[in-house]
Amino acid sequence: MCAFHSLAPRPPASLETVHNLLGSLVSRYRQEEVLTAVRQIPAREAKFRPLPAWVTSSLAEAYRAKGIRDLYLHQAATADLVRDGKNVVIVTPTASGKTLCYNMPVLNAVLENPDTRALYLFPTKALAQDQLAELHDLAKRLDDGFGAFTYDGDTPSDARKAIRERGHIVLTNPDMLHTGILPHHTKWMRLFENLRYIVLDELHTYRGVFGSHLANVLRRLKRVARFYGSDPQFICCSATIANPGELASRLIEKDVEVVEENGAPAGEKLFVFYNPPMVNRNLGIRRSYINEATRVAKEILARKLQTIVFANSRLHTEVLLTYLQQANPPKPGQPEPIRGYRGGYLPGERREIERGLRDGRILGVVATNALELGIDVGSLDACVMAGYPGSIASTWQRAGRAGRRSGSSCAVFVASSAPLDQFIVQHPDYFFDNSPEHAHIQPDNLEILVNHLKCAAFELPVSPDEKFGNVDLPDLCEQLGEAGFLHQSGGDWHWIDEAYPADTISLRSVTSDNFVIIDTTGEDNGKPEVIGEVDFSSALTTVHPKAIYIHQGQQYHVEHLDFDKRKAYVKPVNVDYFTDAIRYTQVRVLEVAEEEGIAGPAARAHGDVLVRSQVVGFKKIKFFTNENVGSGKLELPENEMHTTSFWLTLGHSLFAELPFSLSERQSGIFGLLYALGSMATLLMMCDRRDLGTAVGERPPSAASEINWEDFATASSNGSEAKEFFEPNLYIYDAYPGGIGFSEPLYRICGTLLNRTLDLVSACPCQNGCPSCVGPIADRSERTKEVALEVLGRLSRDAQFMATRTAEIA
Amino acid sequence: MSVRYVSLDRVRGLKALRRSSTSDVRGWQASLLNESGDESHPRTKPIQDDPDRLSQVLGATPKTNQYGDYLSVRCLCAQPPRYSPDLRALRLLTPEAADEIADPDQWLFLDTETTGLAGGSGTYAFLVGVAWWESGGLEIEQFFMREYSEERSLLFALRERIAEHPVLVTFNGKSFDWPLLETRYRMSRKISVPTPRAHLDFLHPARNLWRLRLGSVRLSELERHVLGWDRGADVLSGQIPQVYFDYLRGGPPERLVPVLNHNQMDLRGLAALSSRILSLLSDAESIGENGLELFGVSRICEKRGEHSRARELYQKSIATFLPAETDRAARRSLARLAKREGDFDLACELWRDAAGNSRHGYEAYEQLAIYYEHKARNPEQARQIVLRAIDELRRANQVGDIAPGAYREIKARFDRRMERLGRRNRRPLLDALAMQDEA
Repeated sequence: MCAFHSLAPRPPASLETVHNLLGSLVSRYRQEEVLTAVRQIPAREAKFRPLPAWVTSSLAEAYRAKGIRDLYLHQAATADLVRDGKNVVIVTPTASGKTLCYNMPVLNAVLENPDTRALYLFPTKALAQDQLAELHDLAKRLDDGFGAFTYDGDTPSDARKAIRERGHIVLTNPDMLHTGILPHHTKWMRLFENLRYIVLDELHTYRGVFGSHLANVLRRLKRVARFYGSDPQFICCSATIANPGELASRLIEKDVEVVEENGAPAGEKLFVFYNPPMVNRNLGIRRSYINEATRVAKEILARKLQTIVFANSRLHTEVLLTYLQQANPPKPGQPEPIRGYRGGYLPGERREIERGLRDGRILGVVATNALELGIDVGSLDACVMAGYPGSIASTWQRAGRAGRRSGSSCAVFVASSAPLDQFIVQHPDYFFDNSPEHAHIQPDNLEILVNHLKCAAFELPVSPDEKFGNVDLPDLCEQLGEAGFLHQSGGDWHWIDEAYPADTISLRSVTSDNFVIIDTTGEDNGKPEVIGEVDFSSALTTVHPKAIYIHQGQQYHVEHLDFDKRKAYVKPVNVDYFTDAIRYTQVRVLEVAEEEGIAGPAARAHGDVLVRSQVVGFKKIKFFTNENVGSGKLELPENEMHTTSFWLTLGHSLFAELPFSLSERQSGIFGLLYALGSMATLLMMCDRRDLGTAVGERPPSAASEINWEDFATASSNGSEAKEFFEPNLYIYDAYPGGIGFSEPLYRICGTLLNRTLDLVSACPCQNGCPSCVGPIADRSERTKEVALEVLGRLSRDAQFMATRTAEIA
Repeated sequence: MSVRYVSLDRVRGLKALRRSSTSDVRGWQASLLNESGDESHPRTKPIQDDPDRLSQVLGATPKTNQYGDYLSVRCLCAQPPRYSPDLRALRLLTPEAADEIADPDQWLFLDTETTGLAGGSGTYAFLVGVAWWESGGLEIEQFFMREYSEERSLLFALRERIAEHPVLVTFNGKSFDWPLLETRYRMSRKISVPTPRAHLDFLHPARNLWRLRLGSVRLSELERHVLGWDRGADVLSGQIPQVYFDYLRGGPPERLVPVLNHNQMDLRGLAALSSRILSLLSDAESIGENGLELFGVSRICEKRGEHSRARELYQKSIATFLPAETDRAARRSLARLAKREGDFDLACELWRDAAGNSRHGYEAYEQLAIYYEHKARNPEQARQIVLRAIDELRRANQVGDIAPGAYREIKARFDRRMERLGRRNRRPLLDALAMQDEA
């Protein structure tokens, strides 16, 4: 049977096949418990509109030659709005022909007036490459009537001049715009003088820190365009999120028309929620979701369905890849049928994998969110998500990688025991009936804004009556003048420093520093090989000394971390464990913005804090069993960050009156925070890495200077904590300067407490589990009880507050 | 979502925090107030309320044009003396524009002092020095902006000078000074970018002539070693932006004097050096001081296609006992030229001398083999040469005198050649085709 399958062409996925395989997979269990939802999403018919009459005949002919005679409804609507000079955001799922939405009006304008210029921004270089291929195809059909080029770090320097002069359409990314184009705008005079369109694709990725940065880069872009006398129009494309119009208008700070009705057809799809079966009901322990996801993927792959498996971290990608490669060894003389795909792989390797997926040489791919965006990998049959991607939007986006316009496909979400996953898998309606998330940005984050103001001043002197976000510009310039960056002359503020400010500011993380990972095996013959890179923020947790770093399924032992030179030296090893870093965090309140007593007695507050964190050690965890098989201590540099935080202060009377032992109370506080943090992630609809949590002692007064050692013996592990007097439970923005979650959390404090109470009390475990108050191994047995007791007291009048929140919203 | 406007006091607060922290702190402080923030800048208010003093200190005259004011510093220097280049030399520099640039009275030497080396629209040229031949000597004029607001008047004045002397002469101006000035003109939005008739940049010829001898071809080094000048105390180029920033923030104008002197010396050095380079290009045969200079001129000649002159100069330079490495390079070039001109006796002699265990040595073996195979039609001799090369390679590999990668690559080349030579008798037609290709 197997032999026959391997010779036959890949059969199309049918819902029946999928039903069968799921049935065989769960026949051992009570199905309703494991498969919490099996939804069939019907196929959707296409809605067509004729090509608008204003499209020039050559362009219409070129599209016709590509087989496009009519437009989908949303394509026609967008094209008309753009033609009318409106800023537009199109909301469409994967593969609905959104590229045409912007290419057609832009190309039409270029063909009408060859001076017209357009700038396309994609969040990654790979996406730009992908779109370039499409544009080149059109250019060929139009007798090379326009020039389209990518401009990024890979562009050879001898080609750059020609691109600046001849590129009608320049495809780039925000980072390159920020460091390579805007600071050298005089070289791009032709582009800026004639800049009519700016395309922002994958708009939904511009949220949080990245989005807040981009909003400021766009402020600079508009400023430079104004200098050259142009006022470009924006065309944005977004995956389905709750507030595309709001996000777009906050990013570009202009009015935006939203096009939401999707006219593209889609094949039917089966969406399955899979909750790994319980193995110990008392402890709330389920089968490992990684292992379960592996089983699901193995079954699908065995039926030769092309499959994409998503994991939420690089580590899990590699673990899944290892398992699946073991189960699907390559045939002699043939390439590996299962590949990994994530950030940190080198570009050439990625292109090769994308090609392999399109032409079917690769049967399966294990990816991080790097493949969530619109990289063209052709149409796959199935998608397995190991763990909840963190948001409804991103879940649909990932599911969309399987199944394009016709034929059926399936998506399977395998829940981990994390609270968010359990909440979603046990409340499928929350997922299927709710609108996807809001995307938040905070362009006026002072940290971010000041950095971009520096870049803006470098690009063009800042006039005191200019606007740059909602800050008092003259005052801020004065401050930057005192710090030695700006100098006022003739009224305007000029850049007065040798440095090139954009170089020191990264749009995506705290610092632009990357750690490169060097395999020292070849050192003896003079050829150590760079195998990948990690960004600064994850370096300390993934490539600390003695860590096991996994790359393309191969394990590497980190021999040495050269922190100053940003290098990690590794050697390939073959061990049966991986490592997990232990982080230690302290929070100090700098300034309270608002504080209010709530029931309990307790208080809610938000304000500015200083967070210090350090990776102090690591655990060795055995593959498959997840046993803790050892640990080690580490001495790594401390990280310090000024940010904003929301926190709850438990009154001394509340804390002291709890009818539990001291260690139970301590443990309960950590459990409570664990649950609060999870629920906050859900309510804020953010990535779980965007929020940090810590427990600390409430200081006598926020203003007075306190010795660090005197308080805040906070740690991720409750067992080390000493007795609290009035504990503070912090949920802070994990980005310097804060990214706008603290105040909303303060406002919806009541909802947060209520929902957390729902989560913990509805959890079927007895004493607490990873799905509510955290894994029992680290906690006292009564953690859940304590957390529920505290929550009960805190949310006594939370109902009242929840209604008030609704009114405010 | 409502936005909370963070008070500006936080910027001050951040600064205070930064001072107090001693750990390896990365993140907001580092990016907000980058490394240079540690130096305390003078905070006093500018003293430019006494403009006369600045002019006095610099020996400058305030000037005015339609865009405003700027300072001008002028002086006439007897040294270096005016030099008239001949066309033969100029053609070696820019073959296509030689006629237009032959008149040295059209020349404008130019050198800028800037607020940074990174380039980009935030880098300013606060001092632009120009010079031209006048009364047998060099007239120097320096335009200085006392404030950023004087930039436009400075640019306008410079534009007028370029109109008067439309041939720019610089040292590294093609990649640094001129693009930067173009940016400044574009930033002005009022004054169009001047269009010089030609631009002679002496960095590349200087590199060809002296890098082998001196290592560095910084202008001040060339002055010392080629022209035999001594600048005496000079401000370090790297410190110049900071000197200007300090002045802008109200520092004493006296510290600007060394910067103006530096710029003046650069212009004089540039003028003298251009004369020296052009006279070498015109008549290296009699004035070339050493073999390396001769070698440099021959390199330039070869690049410009003046092969017979290049050949002659290579031969001359080899006769002066060059350093080993340069000698090898000269012989290699000479062999290349000899081959091109069909002088295979000379070429073969040079290749035979060069053959040995080095990249160039193997190249010489290969050239010899090609010669015997295709030109001399002596495949047996070619086989012998290839066999010798393979022996040499093996020996080197055994004693570890060659890197494994290079060994594999070169070995494969010779093996292929050997294989073809072996087949030669059996497949005359195919090999004749291959031979044509190679020749």
